[in-house]
Amino acid sequence: MRPLVFAARSLRREFRHAELATLAMALVLAVAAMAAVATLAARVERALVASAAELIGGDLALGAGHALPAELAQEAQRRGLATNRLAEFPSVLFANERSQLCDVRASDAAFPLRGALSVRGADGVEHAAHAPPSGSIYADHAALVALGVAVGANVQLGGRDLVVAGEIAKSPDSGNLFRIAPRVIMNLGDAEAGGLLGAGSRAGHRLLVAGDTDAVAAFAAWARPNLPSGARITTVEDAQQNLRNAFERGESFLRLAALLAALLSGVAIALGAQRFARRKTEEVALLRCLGARRGEILAALLLELALLAVPACVVGLALGLGLQQLVLELASGLLPGAPPRLPWGPPLAALAVGVAVLFGFALPPLLRLRDVEPLRVFRRDLAARVRRFDVLYLLPVAVGALLVLYGAGNARLAGTLAIGFAAVALATFVLGLVLLWLVRRLATRLRGALRFGLANLARRRALTLLQTGALALSLTALAVLGVIGPSLLERWRADLPADTPNWFAINLQPEQQDALRERLHALGASNMNLLPLAAGKLVAINGHAPQPAEKSDRRAADFIEGEVRVSWSERLPEANRIVQGRWFEGAPAKPSISVEQVWVDLFGLKLGDTLTLRFGDREIVAEVTSLRKVEWDSFRANFFLMLDPADGEQLPHSMVASFHLGGDGAAPLAALSRDFPNLSLIDLNAVLDRIRDIIGRVTGAASWVLGFSLVAGVLVLLAALAATADERRFEAALLRTLGAHGRQLATAVLAEFGTLGLLAGGVAVVAAAVLGSALAGGVFKLEGYTPPLGPLALLVAAAAALVALAGWAGTRRIARASPMAVLRRA
Amino acid sequence: MKDRIGSALYASEVSKIVDGPDGRLTILERVSLEVERGDSLAIVGASGSGKTTLLGLLAGLDRPSTGSIALAGERLDALDEEARARLRRSRVGFVFQSFHLLPALNAEENVMLPLELDGRDDARERAADALARVGLGARRHHYPAQLSGGEQQRVALARAFVHGPDILFADEPTGNLDQRTGAGIGDLLFALNREHATTLVLVTHDATLAARCARSLRLREGKIDETAA
Repeated sequence: MRPLVFAARSLRREFRHAELATLAMALVLAVAAMAAVATLAARVERALVASAAELIGGDLALGAGHALPAELAQEAQRRGLATNRLAEFPSVLFANERSQLCDVRASDAAFPLRGALSVRGADGVEHAAHAPPSGSIYADHAALVALGVAVGANVQLGGRDLVVAGEIAKSPDSGNLFRIAPRVIMNLGDAEAGGLLGAGSRAGHRLLVAGDTDAVAAFAAWARPNLPSGARITTVEDAQQNLRNAFERGESFLRLAALLAALLSGVAIALGAQRFARRKTEEVALLRCLGARRGEILAALLLELALLAVPACVVGLALGLGLQQLVLELASGLLPGAPPRLPWGPPLAALAVGVAVLFGFALPPLLRLRDVEPLRVFRRDLAARVRRFDVLYLLPVAVGALLVLYGAGNARLAGTLAIGFAAVALATFVLGLVLLWLVRRLATRLRGALRFGLANLARRRALTLLQTGALALSLTALAVLGVIGPSLLERWRADLPADTPNWFAINLQPEQQDALRERLHALGASNMNLLPLAAGKLVAINGHAPQPAEKSDRRAADFIEGEVRVSWSERLPEANRIVQGRWFEGAPAKPSISVEQVWVDLFGLKLGDTLTLRFGDREIVAEVTSLRKVEWDSFRANFFLMLDPADGEQLPHSMVASFHLGGDGAAPLAALSRDFPNLSLIDLNAVLDRIRDIIGRVTGAASWVLGFSLVAGVLVLLAALAATADERRFEAALLRTLGAHGRQLATAVLAEFGTLGLLAGGVAVVAAAVLGSALAGGVFKLEGYTPPLGPLALLVAAAAALVALAGWAGTRRIARASPMAVLRRA
Repeated sequence: MKDRIGSALYASEVSKIVDGPDGRLTILERVSLEVERGDSLAIVGASGSGKTTLLGLLAGLDRPSTGSIALAGERLDALDEEARARLRRSRVGFVFQSFHLLPALNAEENVMLPLELDGRDDARERAADALARVGLGARRHHYPAQLSGGEQQRVALARAFVHGPDILFADEPTGNLDQRTGAGIGDLLFALNREHATTLVLVTHDATLAARCARSLRLREGKIDETAA
């Protein structure tokens, strides 16, 4: 016997059988899902990391919440390095009675040091550029569209009239995934002259340095001990690490969605392989009878599987790579510059996953064929020896566990996930059993074809549960992402009171506050809240300088290295609650401070601890006299640290205002901005809309990947159908013989699969609703949240329709079976 | 043919030819027969002689290549598959060698099936009566897997007669049973046939069973064996 020839011939003959087609399809799907997600993730990550220098705008960045001393730039220039000074802040651009919140970058002429800036002039021609000259700005397409202006138009920014000199076509760091607002580039001198960078402004200042690697390193070594308080150095390596961290969470979610598709494909493969093995049993018995050795038979079987796997893997890979390319093309704005070349690693890993899934799930039933007795040729009832436990059963479990570990990236998350999957599977099993019991009870009350369809479900209980489970898992994921998530966000937003502040005004000088208050009142602003703001640096906690390296939480390190903002007030501000201690009364003997819960947790603070803070050349040692909890979703200006007012008033400070302004506040606020040129206005509605837009896009992209798992769930259904095809064909023929007409057969099929879809949809909706309620209570703190029953009911109906349709498509040929088959089957 | 339409079953010059890997293959050749109402006919012959093919054609499960068949007064060649199904549902009963009960349904539900397919409201009561008539009244809630071969065939007999068919086709009804059980099933089949005054067409290897029919027809290589008695 020549196994390869035999395998090739067998495959050619047997490919028309449903189970091999199922096997191939499942493999295609597993490889496609993994290849698409892993390759896309790798390319996006590479692009981001490779552009880290572009993203920070140079080879080294020094950043601070205040202007950096000129000596730093002078020292860098002395060492032969190029420098670029810039400041970044959010501000509202006004034109045509419209407003648009923008991310403003004010820069000297050196920008950009790394990467390229190109702008489109009024003639539509794109050309390389540096930061705009005084009196003009560059704005990106989104900003121009929002304001309804074109290049050459006049706009107001920080109370000054400026000309749009060009539309930004390409800018370093345009690939920032999490940037909220459109980008504007202005001249640094204009920003300084307009008071946009005054004391207390929320502008971030940066000095960028570029040049010879050694000179940059030497400058960094010199700069570290000479940094002013609150300043920080960012290297290309730091930026890369930050990008990786930001990226990893999103990636692991997508990987898990792809993994679900791969695992469900594995289940479909297992079902297909089982059916294939059953069909092969007679053949193997005959071959054994004719003298073939076990090894030869096994080799032929495995070769047949491999011959099937190779083209399936190639097709899956092509499909996956094509899909990720499509996503890249569609979301070209996501990446800075051209996407990096196709990496080899992820596609190869996807192939490995495909092979692992195929052999992991298909081998057990095939290897069992070793046990087929030659005597079976004479006695068909001689079943393969049933073993109570077969070590082979552990193979799919092991492959599944390895895949979860691979997908999750670390053992702890993998463990949590495995437990999660197992819990959902168990819940599905129990819920499925209960529902099946109900179906059985219901079936006896129904008639004819309907009853027959439902009885079929109850009879093939194990298969029904498997199909329900596979579909329910993918539907749950879809329901959580598509229905529960958006409804939670919507409900959370709706829960905000009508006068929730929707505008922030920052950078206001204390002497301007009464005038501003009057103006806002006249405009009809409500829920107004004005607080002072002083920016300082955390020097010590209980007399010891905190070390950023000791803090595992990135936020703690940011507070230590960066700027801390402090406010004060006679009365406890609204949306604040004292948890421990007391609010300030009168002028205390020594400086006192109230600390918010986030800081309490980050730094392990308690009453009586001291915080040393430096404001300019002044140092304050304040004792913690109260611990507070803030409702952050009140959208008021709130602070982690609040000093006693007596000591606060002594500090140089600006003011922050939050207020609610109904209707379109843009026109009146444009006038306000002209009268208070140093004021920066932030439109919170626009920010919230933008966040919702980003969430919408991300969930949209994730839905595509979850679509893979839904297809995989349907594939499990089809595999189960293929596994019972012979039985179904015969039953359809028998019903035909007894006089059933086509419509009755169709009714039975639709009843069976529609109910299966209802079961799966029902389980998914229950699971999604439970998860939603848990999220509502645990994460969003929403009381009495009811999951949106309408959309969920729609999901169940859609699931039932989808499954009924898939079932009908899968059995259409079967239903046309000739009634003669009944007579032919002895 | 018109004058024959009154008989329960009439076949004229029926042939069945199929395409095989080695060209055309004639399975049945110009078979003609007639069975009067209430009559019984046994079709006998060696394996491969075309018995089952003929039964399938007579019952309207398949269409002949040439020739025509009239069943219960209806020309089968004038009917499409849906119409033939309707005819089978109301006028025809079947008994198979392998019983062919639906495993998902219990005994009573299996017997109800032809009545339900015909849209009758009293299906459950009539099925219970039919099962009582074959001695399985107490086991009507059992599933096929819980019944012995003989019991399953009795359920199949109840199913075959429950809707009062004009004509019953039985394909080796005792073929899968031991001699004693087979004899019991044979007795029951003929008793029910008498009670319901049904026309019976029976394919069998069992000479005793064949002898209980009023007439016998032997097939040899797809043709009626004229030499047979």
